[in-house]
Amino acid sequence: MPLLELRDLSVLYGGVEAVRGVSLKVEAGEVVTLLGSNGAGKSTTLRAISGLVKPASGDILFDGRSIAAERPESIVRRGIAHVPEGRRVFPGLSVRENIMLGASNRTGLSKSQIAAEADEMFDLFPDIRRFAGSLGWTLSGGQQQMVAVARGLMAKPRLLLLDEPSLGLAPVIVQAVFAIVAEIRRRGTTVLLVEQNARMGLSVADRGYVLETGRLVLSGSPAELWSNEEIRAAYLGGRTAA
Amino acid sequence: MDLALQLLFTGIGIGSVYALVALGFVLIFRATNVVNFAQGEFSMVAAFLMIVFSVKLELPYWLAFLISLGGMALLGALFNLAVYYPLRHRTYLPVIISTIGASIFIANTVLAIHGPEPEVMSGWFETPGFLVGPVYLDSQYLLIIAVTAALVALQYWFFEHTLLGKKLQATSQDKEMAALLGIPVAAMIMITFVYSAVIGGIAGILVAPVLFVSISMGSTIALKAFAATIIGGFGDVTGAIIGGLALGVIETFGAAYISVPYKDGFAFLVLVLFLVFRPQGIFGERVAEKA
Ligand SMILES: Nc1ncnc2c1ncn2[C@@H]1O[C@H](COP(=O)(O)OP(=O)(O)OP(=O)(O)O)[C@@H](O)[C@H]1O
Ligand SMILES: [Mg+2]
Repeated sequence: MPLLELRDLSVLYGGVEAVRGVSLKVEAGEVVTLLGSNGAGKSTTLRAISGLVKPASGDILFDGRSIAAERPESIVRRGIAHVPEGRRVFPGLSVRENIMLGASNRTGLSKSQIAAEADEMFDLFPDIRRFAGSLGWTLSGGQQQMVAVARGLMAKPRLLLLDEPSLGLAPVIVQAVFAIVAEIRRRGTTVLLVEQNARMGLSVADRGYVLETGRLVLSGSPAELWSNEEIRAAYLGGRTAA
Repeated sequence: MDLALQLLFTGIGIGSVYALVALGFVLIFRATNVVNFAQGEFSMVAAFLMIVFSVKLELPYWLAFLISLGGMALLGALFNLAVYYPLRHRTYLPVIISTIGASIFIANTVLAIHGPEPEVMSGWFETPGFLVGPVYLDSQYLLIIAVTAALVALQYWFFEHTLLGKKLQATSQDKEMAALLGIPVAAMIMITFVYSAVIGGIAGILVAPVLFVSISMGSTIALKAFAATIIGGFGDVTGAIIGGLALGVIETFGAAYISVPYKDGFAFLVLVLFLVFRPQGIFGERVAEKA
């Protein structure tokens, strides 16, 4: 049984169908990348999985159980952590506090246990250790991305949803972020990664899907996708979503 | 000089009441992005509850106080469920109108039950006050200052040093992200309303022996506290406290040195000056575009 399965998922904004009949599977232990250009419906798909938007039709199964009607608070308690587009670091809280709050979905932990776990996170993200006491808004985009991913991992998720972690970052920082994705994968956490950067997105993936104006148009191994003419054309900017 | 010290004491005393009500404004504003125009009614209702339990039913002060605060917690919860919760996904305008409606409703409910006559509540202490050097320290004002200081300290500790305090802050900064982390957003907002009703209530009960307890005391206190919040800035807890104290001192000095009949006018003069020249308050945050 796949860890996550989308069955014929459709999402409407007003009357506009942002996601149309998407079906995909993520097996436990996999890293799956969802590719697509601006407005393809990638973020909407993730928002539906984490409960921020309700599907108009279709179903979302986690561990074989439908979570489509559940609220975000209960979905994250089941083990799905969503690191959304734009990082969304709490600007008025310190980096350590931001990371500590990532454990809000887990019960029975004392504040000192959570603080100790947050400190361990800095082993995985040494670049932000020295900002532990700084307020979220004072960090650069790349540093905020590290905080957002660290905060997501504090949920001890079985499935991590990452929405364009490379967006707006300098190439060196992008490398660092993807090194962390590779490390997360090595530790056995299942990841559904959304990217526009196909090269990076596929470099860490087991499989990939391509979304175009709300529909899945292709799927396959990174090698298959990468050798596909259409994909290459799309990522060389030869085509944009209407 | 002696007069100035005396005025400073009185000003800080009355300013503490404004500060407590202003804290209610700021906490609810940060959690919901909306100014609660019924905040002053919390003070008025609590003062009337105190009259009922302490003066009419002659319960001991402390017991009447605890029962009244329990009533305020309940009122805060009901207020959230009836006035804010159904409109939480709307823009700020319907919510603001809803709080104005609630304010009118609460004032008229108390009027219908109690009638329009103001009530008098005696001070908490047998000794009305004492002289320290040239300054007469009124014991009720001393109590107001002490309770305000203790509440502010407690609140600081709570927000800075507890996980629940951090979750409340996170909720006020980004509700969607808070929900994604598993923070129960609706419960956080409920806590905010209950706490704001209780501190508004404490302010009303503390100030009751200084003022008459009347239906209109809610709107008077709310306007002063609103001015205090504009001075301090809507996003800032420290600003609310400093704004409240500053306003209390300004109006006390204004009444003594310029004109007693215009005492309440000074608050609005300061309010207008700030709205014109520094709408974001001393401590920043642009609120003019929101309220
Ligand atoms: N809140 C919203 N209200 C109305 N339409 C929306 C909303 N959010 C997204 N859309 C529309 O839904 C479609 C899909 O948007 P989505 O954000 O899922 O795309 P995306 O693939 O994540 O794009 P990007 O790479 O730019 O982040 C777009 O046409 C977008 O304009
Ligand atoms: Mg997106």
